[in-house]
Amino acid sequence: MEGINYAPIWLTLKLSFWTTLILVVVGIPLAYYLAYTKSRLGLFIETLTTLPLVLPPTVLGFYLLLLLGKHGFIGSLWHRLFDRQLVFHFEGIVLASVIYSLPMMVHPLVSGFRSVSRNIIEVSWTLGKSKLETLIRVILPNAKASVLTGLVLSFAHTVGEFGVVLMVGGNIEGETRVISIAIYDAVEAIDYFTAHVYAILLLAFSFLSLALLYGVNRRWNL
Amino acid sequence: MDFDVGEEEFLVILGNSGSGKTTLLRCIAGLESPEEGYIEVGGEVWLDTKRGINLPPQKRGIGFVFQDYALFPNMTVLENILYGMKKRDRVYVIELLKRFGMEALWDKKPDKLSGGQKQRVALLRALVSNPKLLLLDEPLSALDPDLRLNLQKELKDFQKRACITAIMVSHDREEAIRTGDRVVIIQNGKIVEGGKPYKVLTSGQPLLIEKRKDKDRILIILKLDGGFLEVELPKEEL
Amino acid sequence: MKKIILLVFGLLNLGQAEVIRVFAAADLQYALREIVAFYNKLHPEDKLDLVFGSSGKGYAQIRAGAPFHLFFSANMEYVQNLYMEGLIVTEPKVYAVGRIVLWTRKDTNLDLSRFPEVLLDPKVRKIAIANWEHAPYGKAAKEVLENHGIFRKVRQKLVVGENVSQAASFVYAGTAELGIIALSLAKTPQMEKAGKYWLIPEEGHKKLIQGYGITKEGLKVKQVKRFYNFVGSPEARKIFLKYGFMLTDDKR
Repeated sequence: MEGINYAPIWLTLKLSFWTTLILVVVGIPLAYYLAYTKSRLGLFIETLTTLPLVLPPTVLGFYLLLLLGKHGFIGSLWHRLFDRQLVFHFEGIVLASVIYSLPMMVHPLVSGFRSVSRNIIEVSWTLGKSKLETLIRVILPNAKASVLTGLVLSFAHTVGEFGVVLMVGGNIEGETRVISIAIYDAVEAIDYFTAHVYAILLLAFSFLSLALLYGVNRRWNL
Repeated sequence: MDFDVGEEEFLVILGNSGSGKTTLLRCIAGLESPEEGYIEVGGEVWLDTKRGINLPPQKRGIGFVFQDYALFPNMTVLENILYGMKKRDRVYVIELLKRFGMEALWDKKPDKLSGGQKQRVALLRALVSNPKLLLLDEPLSALDPDLRLNLQKELKDFQKRACITAIMVSHDREEAIRTGDRVVIIQNGKIVEGGKPYKVLTSGQPLLIEKRKDKDRILIILKLDGGFLEVELPKEEL
Repeated sequence: MKKIILLVFGLLNLGQAEVIRVFAAADLQYALREIVAFYNKLHPEDKLDLVFGSSGKGYAQIRAGAPFHLFFSANMEYVQNLYMEGLIVTEPKVYAVGRIVLWTRKDTNLDLSRFPEVLLDPKVRKIAIANWEHAPYGKAAKEVLENHGIFRKVRQKLVVGENVSQAASFVYAGTAELGIIALSLAKTPQMEKAGKYWLIPEEGHKKLIQGYGITKEGLKVKQVKRFYNFVGSPEARKIFLKYGFMLTDDKR
C-alpha cells in the first residue's frame, strides 16, 4: 500500500473551516431573528432549521442532489454564473454541509440569545445603540459560551459528516474525499491500516474538541 | 389622562402593580408601542400614532434605569458607564465615581458590587449621555429599607444637580413624597389624582393640572388597556 | 501567528494541480493500482487519482456530471451507453474479461468444491455478494445462483455489498462465511493469505466483458490519452493476467 495520504485530512479541515465560517455569518442573524420573533413564521423557520438534525442524511442528500444537480434550480444557476458544477465539487459539499450543520450553530445561539436578560438589551437601546451594535457589544459577549458551543459543534459535526457528502460530492480526491469517505474507501479496499490512522485521528479530534468545549464552558460558568 | 413634566422636574408616577405604570414608562421609552398615543418632548414629537410617528428608543435620547439595574455583566464599571457616552471621557467618569466613593471599583465587574453600588452605576450610566428625560422603573425597590432611604435622597440631589427631568415609577407612597416634585397616581391605566406630593397624599383632594403651551412641555397621551392616559407636564412654577 | 496566517491561506486556496481522475470498477482495486504504480515509474510527473465503486454507480455519476477522465467498467454495456450519449468520446475498448469465485476464510473449514451445495450448508449463515442492480459481479453471481436453482433458497443469507470490493471486505472480515467475489480480488496477497477460493465455471453466467474509455471531461487533460494507451500495453496486460483476468482482442 502507498503511505498515508494527507489530502483527505486537509480537505476535511478546509470543508469544516468554510462551513463554520458561513454558518457564523448566516447563523447569527438567523438565530437573532428566531430568538426574539413572536411571529408564526419564526416557528416555521425554527422547525425547518431543526430538520437536518432528525432527517436521515440520505433524505437531505437526495434533495440536495436534485437541487444542486445540473438541472436543479441552484445547480443550473451556479453553472450559468461560474461555469462550474456544484455536485461532485467542493463548493457543493460546502453548501450541503452548511445546511446539514445549520442546527448545530443555530440552536446553541438561539438558546444563548434567549438567556441574555431582556433588560440589558433594552438598556443598550435606550443608550442610543443600534440593534446591530447591541448584538455585537451586549448580546454576543453575554452569550459567548453558546457562540463557542455553536462554533465547536458546527466544526466537529462537519468533520464527522458522511452521508450527505457521499451523495452530493461522490468521492473525488481534493474536491470531496473527506476523511470519513476515505475511511469507507480504505475499509472496502481491506486497507485496515489506513482506515485505522484516519479513524483514530477522527476519534481523537472529536474527543478533544468536545473536551475543550466542556472545559471552557465550565470555566465561564464559574 | 394627560400630563406635563416641566423642565428639571421630578415626577413620580405612583400605582399598584398592574396599574399600567410600567407600561406607561416603557411606552415613553419607546420599548413598547401603545395602540394610540402622542408624546412630545421639548418640541420634538416622539410618538404620534395618527401620523405614524414612533421614534425607536435609540432616537429618543433617554436614560432608563431598571429595577434589576441591568448592568452589562461582560463589562467593568467604567465600561458600563462609558458605553452610552458619545465622547468617551474616562477622566470625567472616574471623577464621577470618586464623588460616590466608588473609584476603587472602576475595573470591577458588576457581580462584585453591592445592590446600592450597582444602582449608582446604573444611574450614572443613564445620566452621562445627557438624556432629555430620565426614566426610572422602581429603581430602589430591590434594596433594603435603610439603604433605600439614603438613596432616595441621593437620587433627588443627583437629579437636581444634573438639571434633568425625571419620571419615576413607584408603588411606595413615602418614596413618592420624599423624591417627587409632583406625584400622579394611576389606577387601571388612568390618572386619578395629580399635584404637589403633599397635597395629593395628605388631603386626597384631586388637583387640576394646569396645561401650558410651553415649548419645554412634555405631553404624553396614550391609549392603554385601561383607557386613555394623557399626561402633560408643564414647566413648574417655583 | 505566521503559522495561523499560512493555515488560513491554505484553507482559502481552492486551486488544484490537474490530476487524471479515474473511476474504476471495484474488481480493479488492486490490479489498477499496480498498473498505475508501474506507469508512474515511467511517467512520475503524471498524477492519478483512482476511485473505485460499482460500475453502475460510476455510470450514474458520470451521467450526473462527475468530473472523471477515464471510466473502467466491469460491464461493457455501461461504457457503450455512455459512448452513445456522447459522455465517452473514445470507442469503447475491452481491457479484460473477469471471472467470479467462491471465497471463504481458511478457518471456516468449508469445502468449496461442494459447489453449489456448500451454499446451503447450515454452517453458512451469511453469503456476501455485490448488489446485482448496479454491480456486474453481483449480477453474474445472481445468474449463477438462479441457474443452479438456489437463488430463492439462499436469498435470506445474502449480505449485499454496494460493490464487489465491499462484498469481499465482508467475507474477509468474517461477517459472512462465504462470498461470491471477483477472481481479481481473491488473487490479492491479503485475500490469498487469509482464505481460499474456488473458480465458478464461466458457463453459469453472462461473460463479464470489461471495457473502458475516455470521458468528455478527459479530453481537457492531455496526459489522459497517455495513460489510456498504457492500459493496452503488454506491461499492463501482464498485470491484468496476474490478477486472473482473461485477455481478449475482441473489440465487440
